[in-house]
Amino acid sequence: MQKENPNMHDIKPLEEDVQESRMADANGQEKEPYSLNDDRRVKVLSPNAMVMQRFFRNRLAVLGLIMLLVMFVFSFIGGLISPYGQDEQFYRYEDQMKEYVGVVRNNDFRYTSAEGQKFDTMMQAEFQLAVNEERDNFEHKGTIYDVTKEGEDFYSISTDGTMMAIAAKDIVNAEGAEVSFDVKYEALKAYTNEEESFTVNGKEYGLDEEGNILDGETVLGYVSRFVVSSASADVVPSRVFKEELEIAIDNDETEFMFTGEDGVENSYQISYDPTTLTWSVKQGKETYVYDSYASPNKAHWLGTDSNGMDMLTRLMYGGRVSLIIGFIVVIIETVLGVILGGLAGYFGKWVDMLIMRIVDIFYCIPSLPLIIILGAAMDAAKVDPMIRMFYLMLILGFLGWPAIARLVRGQILSLREQEFMAATEACGIRVSRRIFKHLIPNVIPQLIVTCTMSLGSTIIMEATLSFLGMGVKFPFASWGNIINDVNSAYVMTHYWFVWIPAGICLLIAVLGFNFVGDGLRDAFDPKMKR
Amino acid sequence: MGDSKEIKQENQEPLVYDPQYILMVRDLKKYFPIKGGMVSHVVGHVKAVDGVTFNLKRGTTMGLVGESGCGKTTTGRTILRLAGEKTGGDVLFNGKEVYDLTNKEMRALRTKMQIIFQDPFSSLSPRLPVGEIIGEAVREHGLVPKAEFDDYIDKVMDNCGLQPFHKDRYPHEFSGGQRQRICIARALALNPEFIVCDEPVSALDVSIQAQIINLLNELQEEHKLTYLFISHDLSVVEHISDTVGVMYLGNLVEYGETADIFKNPLHPYTKALFSAIPIPDPKAKMNRIVLEGSIPSPANPPKGCKFHTRCAQCMERCKTEEPVQKEVEPGHYVVCHLYDQ
Repeated sequence: MQKENPNMHDIKPLEEDVQESRMADANGQEKEPYSLNDDRRVKVLSPNAMVMQRFFRNRLAVLGLIMLLVMFVFSFIGGLISPYGQDEQFYRYEDQMKEYVGVVRNNDFRYTSAEGQKFDTMMQAEFQLAVNEERDNFEHKGTIYDVTKEGEDFYSISTDGTMMAIAAKDIVNAEGAEVSFDVKYEALKAYTNEEESFTVNGKEYGLDEEGNILDGETVLGYVSRFVVSSASADVVPSRVFKEELEIAIDNDETEFMFTGEDGVENSYQISYDPTTLTWSVKQGKETYVYDSYASPNKAHWLGTDSNGMDMLTRLMYGGRVSLIIGFIVVIIETVLGVILGGLAGYFGKWVDMLIMRIVDIFYCIPSLPLIIILGAAMDAAKVDPMIRMFYLMLILGFLGWPAIARLVRGQILSLREQEFMAATEACGIRVSRRIFKHLIPNVIPQLIVTCTMSLGSTIIMEATLSFLGMGVKFPFASWGNIINDVNSAYVMTHYWFVWIPAGICLLIAVLGFNFVGDGLRDAFDPKMKR
Repeated sequence: MGDSKEIKQENQEPLVYDPQYILMVRDLKKYFPIKGGMVSHVVGHVKAVDGVTFNLKRGTTMGLVGESGCGKTTTGRTILRLAGEKTGGDVLFNGKEVYDLTNKEMRALRTKMQIIFQDPFSSLSPRLPVGEIIGEAVREHGLVPKAEFDDYIDKVMDNCGLQPFHKDRYPHEFSGGQRQRICIARALALNPEFIVCDEPVSALDVSIQAQIINLLNELQEEHKLTYLFISHDLSVVEHISDTVGVMYLGNLVEYGETADIFKNPLHPYTKALFSAIPIPDPKAKMNRIVLEGSIPSPANPPKGCKFHTRCAQCMERCKTEEPVQKEVEPGHYVVCHLYDQ
């Protein structure tokens, strides 16, 4: 604030004084050493040193100072030390159960008509009726159809010896090329009769235990009672998977592991719904997600926020933003307030009148609605978050100067009438020097107190605005918009680490500023002797 | 408003400069406007100084006495152009009209005319060390080369009875007497010719008063200073002054050699004032003239002679006709109708 004072000389030891005074004896006159009550032995304190002394005697003020120092170190040095960036997001793998396939055990007849034959739904219905009544033929449109039971749930329908269709509950699934009717028929027959091979048109096919139809080595298709339908278009369950699934279902398992063709092992959950007679299979897949609302752990001492960013780091950067905004706003306020208040106070008359009316007008501006409207306007204009921060500082600064202008004006009005100001005029000292050397230094004590106090309130104001979403915006952190994450009672009650540390930081910083402000006020006012 | 026009018409012939006088004051007036009403316009004037005329010889001391509120301090400040613009009259300092100077010329002249204030507590800037207070204006006006600056300040401080190590101290560390010495040092550092001493000792106790007055006397001899010594303490004024002016309600009612005035006061007010000087003898009988009533408001002074409301020898013409300054004896001026014959 002011230059350092050289007059802090301590009480000198007596011997030194003797030497000094002997040295000073230029005229040869005997000079006495400083006596014990000599003026020169008195420790001299400048007004600033006295203020410092009084300030440091005030315990609460020192506590406030320590609190502020802690917050400054935390915010400005902490950000450098922290291994994370303020908007660095963290991810984690999470098992997410996702609907994979649905499995139905086929309980209806599936019909396969022979080549060149038609077996329409009416005939299917007649057939169904005949089976239910255990007849071996049915009539449709004047034609008698013979029903031959080939095996369990396996019938063939023929008329006059011509194969019309087959009806079976087991299904032949083609693997690749379409399987011909005859092969299907023979395969089903062999499957029902648990034979290991069958012959169609003189060609031998194999049928293994798992129901695969083999043409030599190649698998043409397979026979199965289960129908596997995928839950979404991109899921193509493999043959091996289906078999594994069938085994699991047969064993009444609820979970099984399966390694897909890409070599990734996933877990699958099987649940049976008796009303629809379906098994729904969910694939447990490890998903890469934001590590949001992670509880405090070794990597993140204060957990993470909803965006998966490190809470502690964001607190540090948020403190930086909050404090810098506080300081810049107060600097803007002070510069404007001192200049305008000083002009009004020193020159008086119409200058005073004009400036004080402007101050009155500024006092009439409802600041919160104005800032909210401006914030909304900036939202609409999609202002860059960085530039937005500057605008915020300017707006808060421009709204805050009138209080300081009033203070400075009042002080200067009273100081101007003091005789030492008349003395400077009588000595012919320049106006600028009169203002800056004599007036301003006498205003500075009150100014410092007011500025310190208004730092606290500016930080609160900034936090309020950021909380309302009108202040500092993502990706920049501020204590206010950290608390803004708490947008529901659930977050508040379950993720305490999101808002309590930010709240404590705010509390410490503002309390620190207020304690220091109070301490300074008491220190500057000599009448406040405690 | 009519007053100011009148004043301009009055002073048409220029005041002739006489080199034996460092300061010539003629019919000096200083009114302060009283603002009032809904739109804060001037509704009247406090006539703090309302016609003061005197000449001050080089190297002498003029005492200015009067009761509180009679305009002594304002006279002193108006002469130094410290109270804004004058309302009327002439102030010739070394033959130059003080109020005709430009700001630059005025600043240069400031070194020649200085003031010592009444209150040694409020007249020193609390946030500057004493050396800075004394030396500031010296540096500002470039009176001594930079190399000699420290020695010069030490010398000035030594002259005023201050120690060199006091330079780094702050005003709050000094007693009233020492502070007044600082004020004197500040004034003296500019090497002035003329100093207005505005009740320099009234805030000090008697022993310190004596020290300061002796200091002022020594400095006067050493530097050939001219003082305008404003005080309400008549014994101090008698001790220090060569000439004395007595003020009543903005007027200089009597003015002359100290011995003349104290031996032979002419104006009824002066008589009443001097009768109040205590005589340090319990057996002495005091012939006190007790004035009736209180001092009228300077915003609305009585017509005619301003003193007529309290004057024992009030005549009919005193109530209507304003008296003018007359030289009753050589060098003894009085403003009273009693001496018109």
